[in-house]
Amino acid sequence: MTIEFSLSKKQLEMREGIRGLAKNVIRPQALAWDRAGGIPEEFLRNMARLATSMGSNAMRSGLGDETDEEKQDAEKKRGPSGSNLFGVLASEELAWGDGGLLLCLPGPGLGGPPVRGSGTPEQKKRFFGMFEDLDGSPLKWGAYGLTEPNAGSDVSGIRTSCRKDGRHWILNGRKCYITNGARAVWTVIFATIDPALGRAGHRAFVVEKGTPGFSVGRIEDKMGLRASETAELVLEDCRVAEENLLGGEEKYVTKEGFMTAMKTFDNTRPLVAAMACGIGRGAYEYACDFVKDNYVLGRPIPRYSAIVERLAKVGRSLEAARSLTWRAAWMADHGIANAKEASMSKAMAGQAAIKACIEAIEICGAEGSIAKDHQLLEKWFRDIKVYDIFEGTGAIQRIVISKRLISDLKSF
Amino acid sequence: MISFEPTEDQKLMVESVAGFARNTLRPRIREFEKERGVSEAVRKTAHELGLGLVALPESVGGAGLGMTTAVLLEEEVSWGEPSAGFAFGGPGAFGFAVLELGTTEQAQAALASFTTDGGHTRFGAVAWGEPKANRERPGFSTTATKTADGWKLDGTKAYVVNADRADRFVVFAQVDPAAGWRGLGAFLVDKGASGLSILPRETTLGLDAVSFGGIALAGVVVPDSARLLGTSRTDFDAALVRFFARHALLVAARGVGLARAAFEVTREYVDGRKAFGKPIGHFQSVAFTIADRAMDVDAGRGLVWRAAAAWDAYDAGDKNARDEKECLLRSAHAIAFVHEAAMRCGDDGVQLHGGAGFMRDYPVEKLMRDAKQIGLCGMTAEHADQLAGAIALGAPVDPGLVLPTPETQNAFV
Repeated sequence: MTIEFSLSKKQLEMREGIRGLAKNVIRPQALAWDRAGGIPEEFLRNMARLATSMGSNAMRSGLGDETDEEKQDAEKKRGPSGSNLFGVLASEELAWGDGGLLLCLPGPGLGGPPVRGSGTPEQKKRFFGMFEDLDGSPLKWGAYGLTEPNAGSDVSGIRTSCRKDGRHWILNGRKCYITNGARAVWTVIFATIDPALGRAGHRAFVVEKGTPGFSVGRIEDKMGLRASETAELVLEDCRVAEENLLGGEEKYVTKEGFMTAMKTFDNTRPLVAAMACGIGRGAYEYACDFVKDNYVLGRPIPRYSAIVERLAKVGRSLEAARSLTWRAAWMADHGIANAKEASMSKAMAGQAAIKACIEAIEICGAEGSIAKDHQLLEKWFRDIKVYDIFEGTGAIQRIVISKRLISDLKSF
Repeated sequence: MISFEPTEDQKLMVESVAGFARNTLRPRIREFEKERGVSEAVRKTAHELGLGLVALPESVGGAGLGMTTAVLLEEEVSWGEPSAGFAFGGPGAFGFAVLELGTTEQAQAALASFTTDGGHTRFGAVAWGEPKANRERPGFSTTATKTADGWKLDGTKAYVVNADRADRFVVFAQVDPAAGWRGLGAFLVDKGASGLSILPRETTLGLDAVSFGGIALAGVVVPDSARLLGTSRTDFDAALVRFFARHALLVAARGVGLARAAFEVTREYVDGRKAFGKPIGHFQSVAFTIADRAMDVDAGRGLVWRAAAAWDAYDAGDKNARDEKECLLRSAHAIAFVHEAAMRCGDDGVQLHGGAGFMRDYPVEKLMRDAKQIGLCGMTAEHADQLAGAIALGAPVDPGLVLPTPETQNAFV
């Protein structure tokens, strides 16, 4: 091993492939998707096929890498997988094309990791099996239902209830801000048998579309990422078969249930950080091009040094975030615990990318705020904010980080 | 490959240098500060560990271990004492200057005395800065005038690291007054040269063990062979920028060590200090600040590593223009980020210590002063940003704009 940052041939090919696609195919349609509030299914199907052909498992088993146990098994066989690094490199390029597209791609999405990590073999077969055939119609999505109107970052405060009734569980509550929630064929829903039990009372269920008592509430109207569907899910005496309790009863003898919810994020936070880097880089590059075209750099210098300095600051902040992101992914690929580093990457990337999008608009002036094809600054400005919010706000990342730095800090 | 894991050899070296920093440097920081230098015994040990010649190639008598190894070790040394990397002796910035600007023969000859026994008693220095901007024209006021068989140097150089300790200097002077910042020349000058005088050492905000001073040149005559020419005029300007970027990247590695030291003493302090019935680190405003500074240290290190790896690839390759740009851009990112990050770590470090932080009983006030001082060494964040910006915008890399000069903002070199 040595310290180095060059991409392998496979990584370079993948990156060049996605770059070309992002520039020539995705970007030109991004504003139209944003306005229409969605992306045509046929396009998504082609993208999914392409990603699968490039070696992505996301369409079959969702976002994030294999769990630690799976990885250890795999590593024994073939050494470090490199799939996390591959994932962050690909995510940055795709998000550079369009952030919304990434969230719209079919597959189990964020619902994948908990099923992968905690599902019984029978459940994995049943819930992932339906994603095998990309040529089938219609496309399918999975979803992850944790957040509630009154419990977001504080996951232990969820109030959606579950109680056993014969061979079923009865669920009651509301879940909100669920990506692909309305169109998902199943959603991993977190509920509690008794809020007083805290984490020990949590249970995770795979709730299938069409289950009696399970319905879609409002579809949210958002600031950005408008091509991505964000839905409210309503559970009213929803009867879920006991075989859909994720991992089965024995899984919940310990606090495992809650940990299932959390494990999802160690693997996906660097992906979100990489997406933020991609959008931020898009804005940064746009502003650099704008300055080149409009500021006539041949003129006497220190005149534009302030603009140059602002751009340089954006460039280096994104690079700093990228280095944390690559590190977190590299650690995951090598089976090194990375909860702190994953949170660092997302905390820094979210802020660096927001700053990049704000600065780019300011540098370009009035022109920068106008929406037209190939001029997406205002869209990126709207899209990027949520990257410092979803999958744990910046403040939540700092809680995760500081708990691992400060002695005996269990909670604030 | 993307990899964040040092080689086994590097791990061993880091371990031994970290031990030296922990056991020999850190306990004596106030002693070094008071004595305004690092004692000879400690400097001798540092040279026995091979520090100082790490990054220079074997072709000129260096250890040939590369920039990546150098930044790993510089971080450890600076963690122990931020002044140490500058105050250990050895060629320092002088080494990179002759490496980039001179021919191999010139570099070998200039560095010979540093690679032999007793190398720790010898210092090299670079006389770059000047006290005032030239009001008549762009460029330095110090001039180099052609004589029959050499050059005559006149002027005053300032902000010179180790000026009063150095045996040899690379002196920068205006060769072509009409060409502004593209009309500079570099000359090897011995401290004993007739007409050269050492100016009094300055008292500074921080890095007390480092000597900051200047030299005056009154008709100093050097032979033609003392001129460091690069391979061509265009290459000279490019080599000049490479010299600054390389040297300032090592300074940035020291900045990472400093930032980590400030972060660690502060983390320990907030663990132990109790208020309102619990450790102050258990309050969110304190804990989040700690988290932010941890990100600064880690991201700064990541950028420094990335730049160092780019230099190693450049040195191993055919030195094409694309690789050179990559080195300059990555270095500029690292330099600017780390200078600011180290300052934040020092500042928040004192702040979280409260009143105690202001007292010299604790090391953190020193680290805060050192952080500002180190940010003025090599290249400033402002100049590094101009360099990165010029490359990102495809603008010409103009030495007068991207390097620290008296016209814009001097730096200690």
